[in-house]
Amino acid sequence: MRSSPALPASPLPAGSRPPAAARRPRLSSRRLWDALSHAYIWAVLVVFILPFLALVGFSFTTRPGEAGVVTNYGYVLDTFGDNLLWSLKISGLTLLINTLVSLPAAYAIVRHSFPGKRLLFSVLTLPLYVPGAVIGISLVLTYNFTYHLTTSMWGLVLAMALGTFPLMLTPVVVALKDLPVIFEEASACLGATRWQTYRRIVLPLIGPGVSAGLLLCFIIVFNEYLVTLFVHPPGLTTAPLRVFNQIRTAGLAPTTAALAVTMQLISLAAVLLFFRLFGARHLKGTYLL
Amino acid sequence: MTGQTRSIAPLRPAPLAVLGRGDAARRLRTLALLLPAILLALLFLYYPLVFIVQMSFTEGSSFLSPGGPIATLANYALIGGRYLPNLLVTLQLALLATIVDLIFGFPFAYIFVRKVRYRTPVRALMVFPMFGALYIAFGMRFILLPGGPATPVLQALGIASTDALFSLPSVVFAMSIFTFPFMVLNIGTALGNVDPTLEEAAACLGARPWQTFRRIVLPLTRAGTVAGALTVFGWSIGTFAEPLLLGSANEQRALAWTVYQRGVVQTDYGLSTAMGVVLLGVAFVVTYLSLRYSRGALVE
Repeated sequence: MRSSPALPASPLPAGSRPPAAARRPRLSSRRLWDALSHAYIWAVLVVFILPFLALVGFSFTTRPGEAGVVTNYGYVLDTFGDNLLWSLKISGLTLLINTLVSLPAAYAIVRHSFPGKRLLFSVLTLPLYVPGAVIGISLVLTYNFTYHLTTSMWGLVLAMALGTFPLMLTPVVVALKDLPVIFEEASACLGATRWQTYRRIVLPLIGPGVSAGLLLCFIIVFNEYLVTLFVHPPGLTTAPLRVFNQIRTAGLAPTTAALAVTMQLISLAAVLLFFRLFGARHLKGTYLL
Repeated sequence: MTGQTRSIAPLRPAPLAVLGRGDAARRLRTLALLLPAILLALLFLYYPLVFIVQMSFTEGSSFLSPGGPIATLANYALIGGRYLPNLLVTLQLALLATIVDLIFGFPFAYIFVRKVRYRTPVRALMVFPMFGALYIAFGMRFILLPGGPATPVLQALGIASTDALFSLPSVVFAMSIFTFPFMVLNIGTALGNVDPTLEEAAACLGARPWQTFRRIVLPLTRAGTVAGALTVFGWSIGTFAEPLLLGSANEQRALAWTVYQRGVVQTDYGLSTAMGVVLLGVAFVVTYLSLRYSRGALVE
Protein backbone atom coordinates (compact mmCIF):
# COMPACT_ATOMS: atom_id res chain seq x y z
CA MET A 1 0.00 0.00 0.00
CA ARG A 2 1.35 3.37 -0.97
CA SER A 3 0.88 6.22 1.42
CA SER A 4 -0.60 9.45 0.17
CA PRO A 5 2.05 12.11 -0.47
CA ALA A 6 -0.13 15.03 0.59
CA LEU A 7 -0.18 14.54 4.34
CA PRO A 8 -1.02 17.55 6.44
CA ALA A 9 1.83 18.94 8.47
CA SER A 10 1.81 17.45 11.92
CA PRO A 11 1.99 19.95 14.76
CA LEU A 12 4.97 18.09 16.17
CA PRO A 13 7.57 15.94 14.47
CA ALA A 14 6.51 12.38 15.17
CA GLY A 15 9.79 11.34 16.73
CA SER A 16 9.83 14.00 19.42
CA ARG A 17 6.47 13.11 20.88
CA PRO A 18 6.95 10.18 23.31
CA PRO A 19 9.64 11.71 25.58
CA ALA A 20 7.85 15.08 25.72
CA ALA A 21 4.59 13.36 26.53
CA ALA A 22 6.22 11.46 29.38
CA ARG A 23 7.36 14.70 30.96
CA ARG A 24 4.52 17.13 30.52
CA PRO A 25 0.90 16.47 31.53
CA ARG A 26 -0.43 18.85 28.83
CA LEU A 27 0.78 16.51 26.17
CA SER A 28 -0.47 13.35 27.80
CA SER A 29 -4.03 14.63 27.71
CA ARG A 30 -3.36 15.31 24.06
CA ARG A 31 -2.33 11.70 23.71
CA LEU A 32 -5.57 10.53 25.24
CA TRP A 33 -7.39 12.81 22.83
CA ASP A 34 -5.48 11.26 19.93
CA ALA A 35 -6.35 7.75 21.06
CA LEU A 36 -10.01 8.69 21.34
CA SER A 37 -9.91 10.22 17.87
CA HIS A 38 -8.54 7.10 16.30
CA ALA A 39 -11.00 4.97 18.23
CA TYR A 40 -13.79 7.14 16.85
CA ILE A 41 -12.59 6.69 13.27
CA TRP A 42 -12.49 2.94 13.64
CA ALA A 43 -15.82 2.77 15.43
CA VAL A 44 -17.46 4.62 12.55
CA LEU A 45 -15.73 2.42 10.01
CA VAL A 46 -16.93 -0.70 11.80
CA VAL A 47 -20.50 0.62 11.67
CA PHE A 48 -19.91 1.23 7.98
CA ILE A 49 -19.07 -2.33 7.18
CA LEU A 50 -21.48 -3.83 9.69
CA PRO A 51 -24.17 -4.51 7.06
CA PHE A 52 -21.56 -6.16 4.88
CA LEU A 53 -20.19 -8.28 7.73
CA ALA A 54 -23.72 -9.28 8.66
CA LEU A 55 -24.35 -10.43 5.11
CA VAL A 56 -21.09 -12.40 5.12
CA GLY A 57 -22.17 -14.08 8.34
CA PHE A 58 -25.62 -14.74 6.97
CA SER A 59 -24.27 -16.22 3.75
CA PHE A 60 -22.32 -18.71 5.85
CA THR A 61 -25.39 -20.01 7.62
CA THR A 62 -27.26 -22.99 6.33
CA ARG A 63 -30.81 -24.11 6.43
CA PRO A 64 -31.63 -27.46 7.99
CA GLY A 65 -31.04 -30.23 5.50
CA GLU A 66 -28.53 -28.32 3.38
CA ALA A 67 -24.89 -29.23 3.13
CA GLY A 68 -23.09 -25.98 4.00
CA VAL A 69 -21.38 -22.79 2.96
CA VAL A 70 -20.12 -24.23 -0.28
CA THR A 71 -23.69 -24.83 -1.36
CA ASN A 72 -24.65 -21.19 -0.90
CA TYR A 73 -21.83 -19.93 -3.08
CA GLY A 74 -22.23 -22.84 -5.45
CA TYR A 75 -25.86 -21.83 -5.75
CA VAL A 76 -24.76 -18.30 -6.64
CA LEU A 77 -22.63 -19.52 -9.53
CA ASP A 78 -25.27 -22.01 -10.55
CA THR A 79 -28.55 -20.15 -10.36
CA PHE A 80 -27.39 -16.55 -10.32
CA GLY A 81 -24.54 -17.09 -12.79
CA ASP A 82 -26.60 -15.63 -15.61
CA ASN A 83 -27.32 -12.51 -13.58
CA LEU A 84 -23.65 -12.05 -12.76
CA LEU A 85 -22.73 -12.41 -16.41
CA TRP A 86 -25.38 -9.87 -17.42
CA SER A 87 -24.06 -7.46 -14.81
CA LEU A 88 -20.53 -7.81 -16.13
CA LYS A 89 -21.65 -7.45 -19.72
CA ILE A 90 -23.79 -4.35 -19.04
CA SER A 91 -20.95 -2.80 -17.02
CA GLY A 92 -18.43 -3.49 -19.77
CA LEU A 93 -20.57 -1.96 -22.51
CA THR A 94 -21.39 1.04 -20.33
CA LEU A 95 -17.71 1.66 -19.62
CA LEU A 96 -17.00 1.52 -23.34
CA ILE A 97 -19.69 4.09 -24.13
CA ASN A 98 -18.62 6.28 -21.22
CA THR A 99 -15.03 6.28 -22.48
CA LEU A 100 -16.03 7.17 -26.02
CA VAL A 101 -18.27 9.96 -24.78
CA SER A 102 -16.24 11.44 -21.93
CA LEU A 103 -12.67 11.55 -23.29
CA PRO A 104 -13.39 13.84 -26.26
CA ALA A 105 -15.78 15.99 -24.23
CA ALA A 106 -13.26 16.44 -21.40
CA TYR A 107 -10.53 17.39 -23.91
CA ALA A 108 -12.75 19.99 -25.53
CA ILE A 109 -13.83 21.38 -22.17
CA VAL A 110 -10.28 21.82 -20.89
CA ARG A 111 -8.24 22.63 -24.00
CA HIS A 112 -10.65 24.49 -26.25
CA SER A 113 -12.23 27.80 -25.52
CA PHE A 114 -15.86 28.38 -26.37
CA PRO A 115 -18.69 30.41 -24.93
CA GLY A 116 -20.91 28.90 -22.26
CA LYS A 117 -18.36 26.38 -21.04
CA ARG A 118 -19.41 26.55 -17.41
CA LEU A 119 -23.03 26.10 -18.34
CA LEU A 120 -22.21 23.15 -20.58
CA PHE A 121 -20.27 21.44 -17.82
CA SER A 122 -23.22 21.88 -15.44
CA VAL A 123 -25.60 20.57 -18.08
CA LEU A 124 -23.43 17.50 -18.61
CA THR A 125 -22.94 16.71 -14.92
CA LEU A 126 -26.58 17.22 -14.02
CA PRO A 127 -27.55 13.51 -14.43
CA LEU A 128 -25.63 12.87 -11.20
CA TYR A 129 -28.08 14.97 -9.25
CA VAL A 130 -31.30 13.63 -10.70
CA PRO A 131 -32.85 11.01 -8.39
CA GLY A 132 -32.67 7.49 -9.80
CA ALA A 133 -36.42 7.01 -9.71
CA VAL A 134 -36.91 10.11 -11.87
CA ILE A 135 -34.36 8.93 -14.43
CA GLY A 136 -36.08 5.55 -14.31
CA ILE A 137 -39.65 6.75 -14.85
CA SER A 138 -38.70 9.26 -17.54
CA LEU A 139 -36.66 6.70 -19.45
CA VAL A 140 -39.15 3.86 -19.20
CA LEU A 141 -41.88 6.11 -20.59
CA THR A 142 -39.79 7.48 -23.45
CA TYR A 143 -38.48 4.00 -24.23
CA ASN A 144 -42.03 2.76 -24.38
CA PHE A 145 -43.58 5.48 -26.43
CA THR A 146 -40.86 7.27 -28.37
CA TYR A 147 -37.65 5.26 -28.74
CA HIS A 148 -39.07 1.73 -28.67
CA LEU A 149 -36.06 0.46 -26.78
CA THR A 150 -37.86 -1.52 -24.09
CA THR A 151 -36.93 -4.94 -25.36
CA SER A 152 -33.33 -4.15 -26.19
CA MET A 153 -30.30 -4.52 -23.96
CA TRP A 154 -29.05 -1.18 -25.34
CA GLY A 155 -31.82 0.68 -23.62
CA LEU A 156 -30.43 -0.45 -20.29
CA VAL A 157 -26.82 0.22 -21.35
CA LEU A 158 -27.64 3.75 -22.51
CA ALA A 159 -29.55 4.45 -19.31
CA MET A 160 -26.51 3.33 -17.30
CA ALA A 161 -24.19 5.40 -19.50
CA LEU A 162 -26.32 8.49 -19.04
CA GLY A 163 -26.35 8.10 -15.27
CA THR A 164 -22.61 7.53 -14.91
CA PHE A 165 -20.69 9.30 -17.68
CA PRO A 166 -20.33 12.46 -15.54
CA LEU A 167 -18.46 10.31 -13.02
CA MET A 168 -15.94 9.64 -15.75
CA LEU A 169 -15.94 13.16 -17.17
CA THR A 170 -15.00 14.81 -13.87
CA PRO A 171 -11.75 12.94 -13.05
CA VAL A 172 -10.61 13.23 -16.68
CA VAL A 173 -11.25 16.98 -16.62
CA VAL A 174 -9.28 17.23 -13.37
CA ALA A 175 -6.40 15.19 -14.81
CA LEU A 176 -6.28 17.29 -17.98
CA LYS A 177 -6.30 20.53 -16.03
CA ASP A 178 -3.37 19.28 -13.97
CA LEU A 179 -1.42 18.47 -17.13
CA PRO A 180 0.65 21.43 -18.36
CA VAL A 181 -0.05 22.19 -21.98
CA ILE A 182 3.68 22.42 -22.90
CA PHE A 183 3.88 18.66 -23.51
CA GLU A 184 1.31 18.91 -26.24
CA GLU A 185 2.95 22.00 -27.68
CA ALA A 186 6.33 20.30 -27.73
CA SER A 187 4.84 17.32 -29.45
CA ALA A 188 3.13 19.54 -32.02
CA CYS A 189 6.38 21.44 -32.63
CA LEU A 190 8.12 18.16 -33.31
CA GLY A 191 5.64 17.45 -36.04
CA ALA A 192 3.17 15.06 -34.46
CA THR A 193 -0.39 15.17 -35.65
CA ARG A 194 -3.16 15.94 -33.20
CA TRP A 195 -4.17 12.30 -32.97
CA GLN A 196 -0.55 11.17 -32.40
CA THR A 197 -0.13 13.76 -29.68
CA TYR A 198 -3.31 12.66 -28.02
CA ARG A 199 -2.52 8.95 -28.20
CA ARG A 200 1.18 9.06 -27.35
CA ILE A 201 1.38 12.02 -24.96
CA VAL A 202 -1.93 13.02 -23.46
CA LEU A 203 -3.60 9.67 -22.97
CA PRO A 204 -0.73 8.04 -21.04
CA LEU A 205 -0.33 11.12 -18.85
CA ILE A 206 -4.00 11.28 -17.90
CA GLY A 207 -4.17 7.50 -17.56
CA PRO A 208 -4.74 7.48 -13.80
CA GLY A 209 -7.57 10.00 -14.13
CA VAL A 210 -9.21 7.89 -16.82
CA SER A 211 -8.83 4.80 -14.67
CA ALA A 212 -10.36 6.59 -11.69
CA GLY A 213 -13.37 7.41 -13.86
CA LEU A 214 -13.60 3.83 -15.07
CA LEU A 215 -13.43 2.54 -11.51
CA LEU A 216 -16.20 4.85 -10.27
CA CYS A 217 -18.44 4.01 -13.19
CA PHE A 218 -17.81 0.31 -12.77
CA ILE A 219 -18.70 0.13 -9.11
CA ILE A 220 -21.83 2.20 -9.65
CA VAL A 221 -23.10 0.39 -12.75
CA PHE A 222 -22.17 -3.05 -11.47
CA ASN A 223 -24.27 -2.51 -8.33
CA GLU A 224 -27.09 -0.42 -9.81
CA TYR A 225 -30.60 -1.77 -9.19
CA LEU A 226 -32.94 1.23 -9.20
CA VAL A 227 -32.84 2.53 -12.77
CA THR A 228 -32.41 -1.10 -13.84
CA LEU A 229 -35.68 -1.96 -12.12
CA PHE A 230 -37.45 0.56 -14.34
CA VAL A 231 -35.79 0.00 -17.71
CA HIS A 232 -34.57 -3.59 -17.74
CA PRO A 233 -35.82 -5.46 -20.81
CA PRO A 234 -37.89 -8.57 -20.14
CA GLY A 235 -35.75 -11.61 -19.47
CA LEU A 236 -32.68 -9.59 -18.53
CA THR A 237 -32.06 -9.43 -14.80
CA THR A 238 -28.77 -8.06 -13.53
CA ALA A 239 -27.38 -9.40 -10.27
CA PRO A 240 -28.31 -6.42 -8.03
CA LEU A 241 -31.83 -6.45 -9.45
CA ARG A 242 -31.94 -10.17 -8.72
CA VAL A 243 -30.97 -9.46 -5.11
CA PHE A 244 -33.78 -6.91 -4.94
CA ASN A 245 -36.33 -9.27 -6.48
CA GLN A 246 -35.27 -12.15 -4.25
CA ILE A 247 -35.71 -10.07 -1.11
CA ARG A 248 -39.09 -8.83 -2.31
CA THR A 249 -40.44 -12.20 -3.31
CA ALA A 250 -38.56 -14.85 -1.33
CA GLY A 251 -37.67 -12.95 1.85
CA LEU A 252 -34.19 -13.20 3.31
CA ALA A 253 -32.25 -16.24 2.17
CA PRO A 254 -28.57 -17.13 2.73
CA THR A 255 -28.16 -17.65 -1.00
CA THR A 256 -29.28 -14.08 -1.71
CA ALA A 257 -26.83 -12.87 0.91
CA ALA A 258 -24.13 -14.91 -0.81
CA LEU A 259 -24.93 -13.16 -4.09
CA ALA A 260 -24.81 -9.73 -2.44
CA VAL A 261 -21.48 -10.61 -0.81
CA THR A 262 -20.09 -11.81 -4.13
CA MET A 263 -21.07 -8.54 -5.80
CA GLN A 264 -19.49 -6.45 -3.07
CA LEU A 265 -16.32 -8.51 -3.07
CA ILE A 266 -15.92 -8.10 -6.83
CA SER A 267 -16.44 -4.35 -6.46
CA LEU A 268 -13.98 -4.18 -3.56
CA ALA A 269 -11.43 -6.12 -5.58
CA ALA A 270 -11.73 -3.51 -8.33
CA VAL A 271 -11.16 -0.71 -5.82
CA LEU A 272 -8.17 -2.39 -4.19
CA LEU A 273 -6.65 -3.15 -7.58
CA PHE A 274 -6.96 0.52 -8.45
CA PHE A 275 -5.31 1.59 -5.17
CA ARG A 276 -2.50 -0.85 -5.84
CA LEU A 277 -1.91 0.29 -9.42
CA PHE A 278 -2.44 4.03 -9.19
CA GLY A 279 -2.78 5.05 -5.57
CA ALA A 280 -5.80 6.51 -3.85
CA ARG A 281 -4.86 10.13 -4.62
CA HIS A 282 -6.25 9.94 -8.14
CA LEU A 283 -9.73 9.66 -6.73
CA LYS A 284 -9.28 13.07 -5.17
CA GLY A 285 -11.97 15.50 -6.13
CA THR A 286 -14.31 12.75 -7.23
CA TYR A 287 -16.14 10.72 -4.65
CA LEU A 288 -13.53 9.61 -2.17
CA LEU A 289 -11.13 11.86 -0.37
CA MET B 1 -1.21 22.24 -9.74
CA THR B 2 -3.55 24.78 -11.24
CA GLY B 3 -1.17 27.49 -10.14
CA GLN B 4 1.53 25.83 -12.19
CA THR B 5 -0.64 25.78 -15.30
CA ARG B 6 -1.58 29.39 -14.80
CA SER B 7 1.97 30.58 -14.49
CA ILE B 8 2.79 28.90 -17.78
CA ALA B 9 -0.19 30.34 -19.60
CA PRO B 10 1.19 33.85 -20.28
CA LEU B 11 4.29 32.42 -21.97
CA ARG B 12 2.20 30.46 -24.44
CA PRO B 13 2.32 32.22 -27.82
CA ALA B 14 -1.22 31.28 -28.84
CA PRO B 15 -0.04 28.35 -30.96
CA LEU B 16 -3.33 27.26 -32.42
CA ALA B 17 -4.28 30.72 -33.59
CA VAL B 18 -1.06 30.87 -35.56
CA LEU B 19 -1.53 27.45 -37.12
CA GLY B 20 -5.29 27.54 -37.44
CA ARG B 21 -7.05 28.07 -40.68
CA GLY B 22 -9.57 30.24 -38.96
CA ASP B 23 -12.14 29.98 -36.30
CA ALA B 24 -14.69 27.97 -38.24
CA ALA B 25 -12.64 24.79 -38.40
CA ARG B 26 -11.76 25.08 -34.76
CA ARG B 27 -15.35 25.58 -33.71
CA LEU B 28 -16.32 22.56 -35.75
CA ARG B 29 -13.69 20.42 -34.05
CA THR B 30 -14.83 21.55 -30.61
CA LEU B 31 -18.39 20.72 -31.50
CA ALA B 32 -17.42 17.31 -32.85
CA LEU B 33 -15.61 16.48 -29.61
CA LEU B 34 -18.53 17.58 -27.48
CA LEU B 35 -21.27 16.13 -29.64
CA PRO B 36 -21.47 12.57 -28.23
CA ALA B 37 -21.79 13.82 -24.66
CA ILE B 38 -24.34 16.47 -25.61
CA LEU B 39 -26.38 13.97 -27.59
CA LEU B 40 -26.36 11.45 -24.76
CA ALA B 41 -27.51 14.07 -22.27
CA LEU B 42 -30.15 15.53 -24.60
CA LEU B 43 -31.66 12.29 -25.80
CA PHE B 44 -31.59 10.35 -22.56
CA LEU B 45 -31.98 13.01 -19.90
CA TYR B 46 -33.38 16.29 -21.13
CA TYR B 47 -35.88 15.04 -23.66
CA PRO B 48 -37.30 12.41 -21.24
CA LEU B 49 -37.56 15.06 -18.53
CA VAL B 50 -39.50 17.37 -20.83
CA PHE B 51 -41.63 14.37 -21.74
CA ILE B 52 -42.56 13.60 -18.14
CA VAL B 53 -43.21 17.27 -17.38
CA GLN B 54 -45.70 17.35 -20.26
CA MET B 55 -47.20 14.08 -19.15
CA SER B 56 -47.61 15.23 -15.57
CA PHE B 57 -50.24 17.72 -16.72
CA THR B 58 -52.44 15.04 -18.30
CA GLU B 59 -54.92 12.71 -16.75
CA GLY B 60 -54.02 9.07 -16.01
CA SER B 61 -52.61 7.39 -19.10
CA SER B 62 -54.48 9.70 -21.48
CA PHE B 63 -51.29 11.32 -22.80
CA LEU B 64 -50.90 8.52 -25.32
CA SER B 65 -54.48 7.50 -25.81
CA PRO B 66 -55.96 7.86 -29.32
CA GLY B 67 -58.50 10.37 -28.02
CA GLY B 68 -55.71 12.82 -27.28
CA PRO B 69 -54.38 13.97 -23.92
CA ILE B 70 -56.77 15.35 -21.36
CA ALA B 71 -55.15 18.36 -19.73
CA THR B 72 -55.50 18.55 -15.97
CA LEU B 73 -53.85 19.88 -12.87
CA ALA B 74 -55.43 17.16 -10.73
CA ASN B 75 -52.15 15.27 -10.35
CA TYR B 76 -50.49 18.17 -8.59
CA ALA B 77 -53.62 18.74 -6.52
CA LEU B 78 -53.39 15.10 -5.42
CA ILE B 79 -49.77 15.53 -4.39
CA GLY B 80 -50.77 18.57 -2.38
CA GLY B 81 -53.65 16.65 -0.84
CA ARG B 82 -53.89 12.90 -0.62
CA TYR B 83 -50.20 12.29 -1.29
CA LEU B 84 -48.87 15.13 0.83
CA PRO B 85 -47.80 12.67 3.58
CA ASN B 86 -45.67 10.85 0.98
CA LEU B 87 -43.84 14.06 0.13
CA LEU B 88 -43.47 15.05 3.77
CA VAL B 89 -42.13 11.68 4.89
CA THR B 90 -39.57 11.80 2.05
CA LEU B 91 -38.37 15.22 3.15
CA GLN B 92 -38.38 14.14 6.80
CA LEU B 93 -36.23 11.08 6.11
CA ALA B 94 -33.78 13.11 4.03
CA LEU B 95 -33.53 15.80 6.68
CA LEU B 96 -32.94 13.33 9.51
CA ALA B 97 -30.30 11.46 7.52
CA THR B 98 -28.57 14.77 6.78
CA ILE B 99 -28.53 15.72 10.46
CA VAL B 100 -27.13 12.34 11.52
CA ASP B 101 -24.43 12.59 8.85
CA LEU B 102 -23.56 16.11 9.94
CA ILE B 103 -23.20 15.15 13.59
CA PHE B 104 -21.02 12.11 12.92
CA GLY B 105 -19.40 13.33 9.72
CA PHE B 106 -17.80 16.55 10.94
CA PRO B 107 -15.61 14.96 13.65
CA PHE B 108 -14.81 12.11 11.28
CA ALA B 109 -13.65 14.47 8.53
CA TYR B 110 -11.68 16.58 11.00
CA ILE B 111 -9.82 13.63 12.50
CA PHE B 112 -9.30 12.07 9.08
CA VAL B 113 -7.76 15.19 7.59
CA ARG B 114 -5.70 16.28 10.62
CA LYS B 115 -4.63 13.10 12.36
CA VAL B 116 -4.97 9.96 10.27
CA ARG B 117 -1.87 8.78 8.47
CA TYR B 118 -3.13 5.33 7.50
CA ARG B 119 -5.41 6.65 4.79
CA THR B 120 -5.56 3.83 2.31
CA PRO B 121 -7.34 1.30 4.56
CA VAL B 122 -9.76 3.99 5.69
CA ARG B 123 -10.51 4.88 2.08
CA ALA B 124 -10.91 1.22 1.17
CA LEU B 125 -13.48 0.73 3.93
CA MET B 126 -15.21 3.99 3.04
CA VAL B 127 -16.13 2.66 -0.38
CA PHE B 128 -18.50 0.04 1.02
CA PRO B 129 -21.50 2.39 1.19
CA MET B 130 -20.89 3.34 -2.45
CA PHE B 131 -21.77 -0.18 -3.51
CA GLY B 132 -25.34 0.76 -2.97
CA ALA B 133 -28.13 1.32 -0.53
CA LEU B 134 -29.63 -2.03 -1.42
CA TYR B 135 -26.90 -4.08 0.25
CA ILE B 136 -26.91 -1.79 3.28
CA ALA B 137 -30.67 -2.15 3.67
CA PHE B 138 -30.42 -5.91 3.16
CA GLY B 139 -27.67 -6.25 5.76
CA MET B 140 -29.48 -4.02 8.24
CA ARG B 141 -32.67 -5.98 7.79
CA PHE B 142 -30.84 -9.18 8.60
CA ILE B 143 -29.16 -7.60 11.65
CA LEU B 144 -32.45 -6.30 13.03
CA LEU B 145 -34.49 -9.39 12.25
CA PRO B 146 -36.06 -10.92 15.35
CA GLY B 147 -33.52 -13.53 16.44
CA GLY B 148 -30.83 -11.79 14.34
CA PRO B 149 -27.42 -10.57 15.55
CA ALA B 150 -28.76 -7.37 17.11
CA THR B 151 -31.41 -9.07 19.24
CA PRO B 152 -29.32 -9.37 22.45
CA VAL B 153 -28.23 -5.72 22.18
CA LEU B 154 -31.78 -4.55 21.65
CA GLN B 155 -33.02 -6.67 24.53
CA ALA B 156 -30.38 -5.17 26.78
CA LEU B 157 -31.67 -1.74 25.79
CA GLY B 158 -35.24 -2.83 26.35
CA ILE B 159 -36.43 -2.47 22.75
CA ALA B 160 -38.57 -5.12 21.16
CA SER B 161 -36.86 -6.19 17.95
CA THR B 162 -40.09 -5.93 15.98
CA ASP B 163 -40.15 -2.25 16.89
CA ALA B 164 -36.58 -1.81 15.76
CA LEU B 165 -36.89 -3.46 12.38
CA PHE B 166 -39.74 -1.59 10.73
CA SER B 167 -39.17 1.86 12.13
CA LEU B 168 -38.05 5.35 11.28
CA PRO B 169 -34.67 5.17 13.07
CA SER B 170 -33.54 2.07 11.21
CA VAL B 171 -34.40 3.69 7.85
CA VAL B 172 -32.57 6.88 8.81
CA PHE B 173 -29.60 4.87 10.04
CA ALA B 174 -29.28 2.95 6.77
CA MET B 175 -29.72 6.14 4.74
CA SER B 176 -27.06 7.97 6.69
CA ILE B 177 -24.57 5.13 6.23
CA PHE B 178 -25.19 5.33 2.49
CA THR B 179 -24.59 9.08 2.23
CA PHE B 180 -21.88 9.44 4.90
CA PRO B 181 -18.97 9.49 2.39
CA PHE B 182 -20.46 12.47 0.55
CA MET B 183 -20.58 14.45 3.77
CA VAL B 184 -17.04 13.49 4.76
CA LEU B 185 -15.78 14.28 1.27
CA ASN B 186 -17.21 17.79 1.24
CA ILE B 187 -16.16 18.72 4.76
CA GLY B 188 -12.77 17.04 4.31
CA THR B 189 -12.03 19.02 1.14
CA ALA B 190 -12.90 22.26 2.91
CA LEU B 191 -10.76 21.31 5.92
CA GLY B 192 -7.85 20.35 3.70
CA ASN B 193 -7.78 23.95 2.47
CA VAL B 194 -7.57 25.36 6.01
CA ASP B 195 -3.99 25.81 7.14
CA PRO B 196 -3.46 23.87 10.40
CA THR B 197 -1.16 26.65 11.62
CA LEU B 198 -4.23 28.84 12.07
CA GLU B 199 -5.47 26.47 14.75
CA GLU B 200 -2.04 26.35 16.34
CA ALA B 201 -1.90 30.12 16.34
CA ALA B 202 -5.28 30.26 18.06
CA ALA B 203 -4.07 27.77 20.66
CA CYS B 204 -0.86 29.75 21.21
CA LEU B 205 -2.94 32.89 21.77
CA GLY B 206 -4.76 31.10 24.54
CA ALA B 207 -7.94 29.91 22.87
CA ARG B 208 -9.48 26.80 24.32
CA PRO B 209 -10.10 23.92 21.89
CA TRP B 210 -13.82 24.69 21.79
CA GLN B 211 -13.12 28.35 21.06
CA THR B 212 -10.69 27.41 18.29
CA PHE B 213 -13.29 25.13 16.80
CA ARG B 214 -16.11 27.66 16.98
CA ARG B 215 -14.17 30.76 15.93
CA ILE B 216 -11.65 29.33 13.47
CA VAL B 217 -12.51 25.91 12.11
CA LEU B 218 -16.25 26.21 11.78
CA PRO B 219 -16.37 29.56 9.91
CA LEU B 220 -13.58 28.52 7.54
CA THR B 221 -15.29 25.27 6.61
CA ARG B 222 -18.82 26.57 6.48
CA ALA B 223 -19.06 26.44 2.68
CA GLY B 224 -17.95 22.81 2.58
CA THR B 225 -20.25 21.83 5.41
CA VAL B 226 -23.27 23.46 3.80
CA ALA B 227 -22.41 21.92 0.44
CA GLY B 228 -22.01 18.50 2.09
CA ALA B 229 -25.34 18.77 3.87
CA LEU B 230 -27.10 19.80 0.68
CA THR B 231 -25.47 17.00 -1.31
CA VAL B 232 -26.53 14.45 1.26
CA PHE B 233 -30.04 15.86 1.31
CA GLY B 234 -30.22 15.75 -2.47
CA TRP B 235 -29.12 12.13 -2.56
CA SER B 236 -31.45 11.16 0.25
CA ILE B 237 -34.70 12.36 -1.27
CA GLY B 238 -34.43 9.65 -3.92
CA THR B 239 -34.24 6.95 -1.26
CA PHE B 240 -35.79 3.70 -2.44
CA ALA B 241 -34.54 0.45 -0.93
CA GLU B 242 -34.12 1.62 2.67
CA PRO B 243 -37.75 2.62 3.39
CA LEU B 244 -38.96 -0.37 1.45
CA LEU B 245 -36.91 -2.95 3.33
CA LEU B 246 -36.59 -1.31 6.74
CA GLY B 247 -39.52 1.06 7.10
CA SER B 248 -43.01 0.73 8.50
CA ALA B 249 -46.03 1.50 6.31
CA ASN B 250 -45.41 5.17 6.98
CA GLU B 251 -41.82 5.25 5.69
CA GLN B 252 -42.69 2.99 2.77
CA ARG B 253 -44.70 5.87 1.35
CA ALA B 254 -41.45 7.60 0.33
CA LEU B 255 -41.89 9.23 -3.06
CA ALA B 256 -39.44 7.23 -5.15
CA TRP B 257 -41.18 3.98 -4.33
CA THR B 258 -44.62 5.53 -4.95
CA VAL B 259 -43.40 6.70 -8.36
CA TYR B 260 -42.55 3.12 -9.22
CA GLN B 261 -45.81 1.74 -7.84
CA ARG B 262 -48.05 4.26 -9.59
CA GLY B 263 -46.09 4.50 -12.80
CA VAL B 264 -44.82 1.05 -13.65
CA VAL B 265 -47.16 -1.21 -11.72
CA GLN B 266 -50.45 0.68 -11.95
CA THR B 267 -49.67 2.68 -15.14
CA ASP B 268 -51.12 5.90 -13.75
CA TYR B 269 -48.63 7.91 -15.79
CA GLY B 270 -50.06 11.32 -14.98
CA LEU B 271 -49.74 10.99 -11.22
CA SER B 272 -46.40 9.17 -11.18
CA THR B 273 -44.75 11.65 -13.53
CA ALA B 274 -46.12 14.53 -11.46
CA MET B 275 -44.45 12.95 -8.40
CA GLY B 276 -41.29 12.55 -10.43
CA VAL B 277 -41.41 16.23 -11.36
CA VAL B 278 -41.83 17.23 -7.72
CA LEU B 279 -38.89 15.03 -6.74
CA LEU B 280 -36.88 16.53 -9.56
CA GLY B 281 -37.79 20.05 -8.49
CA VAL B 282 -36.56 19.45 -4.95
CA ALA B 283 -33.36 17.84 -6.26
CA PHE B 284 -32.67 20.77 -8.59
CA VAL B 285 -33.17 23.42 -5.94
CA VAL B 286 -30.88 21.54 -3.57
CA THR B 287 -28.25 21.01 -6.26
CA TYR B 288 -28.34 24.64 -7.31
CA LEU B 289 -27.77 25.77 -3.72
CA SER B 290 -25.03 23.20 -3.16
CA LEU B 291 -23.14 24.22 -6.31
CA ARG B 292 -23.38 27.84 -5.29
CA TYR B 293 -21.88 27.03 -1.90
CA SER B 294 -19.20 24.61 -2.99
CA ARG B 295 -16.19 25.85 -4.84
CA GLY B 296 -17.56 24.93 -8.25
CA ALA B 297 -14.26 26.08 -9.72
CA LEU B 298 -13.53 22.92 -11.66
CA VAL B 299 -14.11 24.64 -14.98
CA GLU B 300 -13.26 28.28 -15.39
